Amino acid sequence: MKKLVKLEKPKDIFIDTEIKDFKDPQFIYLPCECNYKEGEYLYKNTFINDIVTSISGYVVKTEKLKCQNSITKCYKIANDYKENIKEKIQKKKCKNKDDLINYLEKFNLNNIITKISNKESIQNIVFSCIDEETYSFSEFMTLSNYFNEILETLNYLLNVFSLSKGIIATKNTFSSSIKNVKSILGTYPNILLRLIPDLYLISYEENLCDYLNILSKDTLILNGQEILDLYYALIKGKINNSVLLTISGNNVLKTMIVMTRTNTLAKEVIDKYIELKSNDYDIYINGLLRGYKENNECLITKDIHTIIINEKKTTIEEECINCGACQEICPFHINVLKCYLEKRSSKKCFNCGLCNYICPANIKLKEVVGMVNNEKKKH
Amino acid sequence: MKKRNIKELVIINIILLIPLILYGLFKNGYLLYTKNLVSLGEFFKPLYLTLISIGIKIIFDLIINHKILINYNLLYMILISMIMPYNINLIIYTITLSITYFLSTILESKIKFNKVCLIYLVIILVNSLFQSLTFLSPLESKYSFSFSFIDLLFGRSIGGISATSIFFSLLAYTLLINSYYYKKDIPLTINITYLILAFITYLITKDNSILLNSEIIFGSIFVAPLPKYSPYRKSKQILSSILIGLLTFVLSFLNPTLSIYLAIFIISLLPNLELLKKKTSK
Repeated sequence: MKKLVKLEKPKDIFIDTEIKDFKDPQFIYLPCECNYKEGEYLYKNTFINDIVTSISGYVVKTEKLKCQNSITKCYKIANDYKENIKEKIQKKKCKNKDDLINYLEKFNLNNIITKISNKESIQNIVFSCIDEETYSFSEFMTLSNYFNEILETLNYLLNVFSLSKGIIATKNTFSSSIKNVKSILGTYPNILLRLIPDLYLISYEENLCDYLNILSKDTLILNGQEILDLYYALIKGKINNSVLLTISGNNVLKTMIVMTRTNTLAKEVIDKYIELKSNDYDIYINGLLRGYKENNECLITKDIHTIIINEKKTTIEEECINCGACQEICPFHINVLKCYLEKRSSKKCFNCGLCNYICPANIKLKEVVGMVNNEKKKH
Repeated sequence: MKKRNIKELVIINIILLIPLILYGLFKNGYLLYTKNLVSLGEFFKPLYLTLISIGIKIIFDLIINHKILINYNLLYMILISMIMPYNINLIIYTITLSITYFLSTILESKIKFNKVCLIYLVIILVNSLFQSLTFLSPLESKYSFSFSFIDLLFGRSIGGISATSIFFSLLAYTLLINSYYYKKDIPLTINITYLILAFITYLITKDNSILLNSEIIFGSIFVAPLPKYSPYRKSKQILSSILIGLLTFVLSFLNPTLSIYLAIFIISLLPNLELLKKKTSK
């Protein structure tokens, strides 16, 4: 197992434990290369390339917006609040892996399909309810609020793969959710709860499997969003158009967890629910370490689980002092400093951001060392 | 795991040096004064050296940067003041330190070397031109002592003015060891290498004075792992530490107090050969 570290976390984060439901956005934005005309009507759950419309409404105009860290042309759809669906997907009971893949294709759950088809045989199913980043609580809230749904879905998957037990892995610091979970878990004897230490990168597939003492090659690991997507598809026969989003940071008075529609503008959600301490702030998507800086004009997609709003902080990049902390902390033992000095990236880089975090000179090492992976992400 | 900036790292190091400075003040100030070996003015000599060093650094900062900076140069200056011999002439010290600090700062951009060791060696060299080189305090030169292991551990050995307390050096090491920013393998390897060789020598010569050298412990804990002047890769850290340990052992036959700094300085020049090789191959 790789040497993992415990991150220092702020002690004054106040979380609103009630999930806010933002299911009626005024507009959604579809980032796709299609030829829709103004005034054209779009039904809810219409598949456009890889995107699914989360509301029904009319095309208003096109706008250029930031989506997944790159600027894309988007169709602005005005919500008609009718939730009109053209055709429903027929619910089906899946009996085996192939059956499941075929069924999930109808819901466009490509991430999950890839995960399942990449494994030759699945011997373990793990629901990884672990928030890695300091201000992220999406997984914690999924476990706390959708525990019955999680158990039902896991049980379903265990039957599909003919497995005798599934695992729910959560951090041992999530005491309140553990308490709730334990009281219900008894009804599902085939599902175990495993408590994981609060270490950064523990949810990384290899590390988690090492900790749980199972083989990663035959383990299917699912996160909160994926479990909810599967619940909607397998149990309800519906498409999940929502994202559980944490909005937090040191510029936020209270951390909010919002269930929002996909392809909503982040600004709309922030303006509705978040009380800011000051108007001078920076926005980070998916965490301070592994995430990226963004403005509030970005789209909420299924890849986004956290929006961090931090007070604007200007850090001055100083001259490297050759301390070697970046290399010492790197879980992949990359020669970070050498890569940085030679201005080349490393294929081994996981973009964990620990080198950036630890650097006493505030040098943005990740931006150079993890360049290959950043480019991959963009494409 | 807590992130630190350069300023915090320097301050942590300085805080860890304070007990050593205070011990230096006790050993080379209070004890000498109570035995009527020095005047009240000379009581504070260890402190004067540190204050002069800090003063020079502040003046240079104000001239060059127009503001006082808390950076590694401040730590270097404090370290230099702590490893000086007791009999250092304050005027020679002030002038030589100012000149060598200025020149080494310019030279630093062209050649890689350990600034602390270079300045220290130059000051010692200049001072020895005017008076004989000795690390004995007036008390040590007047009486001959038979110290026990515990005496030596708490700093009764001969060495730098504020660098003799092995106990406080080791205490600082145990506190620094948890930091990601501290190259903990360097002191460990230097001391292991040196002690193996010293123990072999002890078995042959039955002379135990070579075994417990406070200066080697201080130099290996505070001077050798200075980030800018030591390799950042673990393998290179261990290799250079073994070389420092070996060289220290050899040089300790010439001067046990100077040996570690001379060894660190020589080894810190090695990366220049690598750079030269790269340049010629290009």
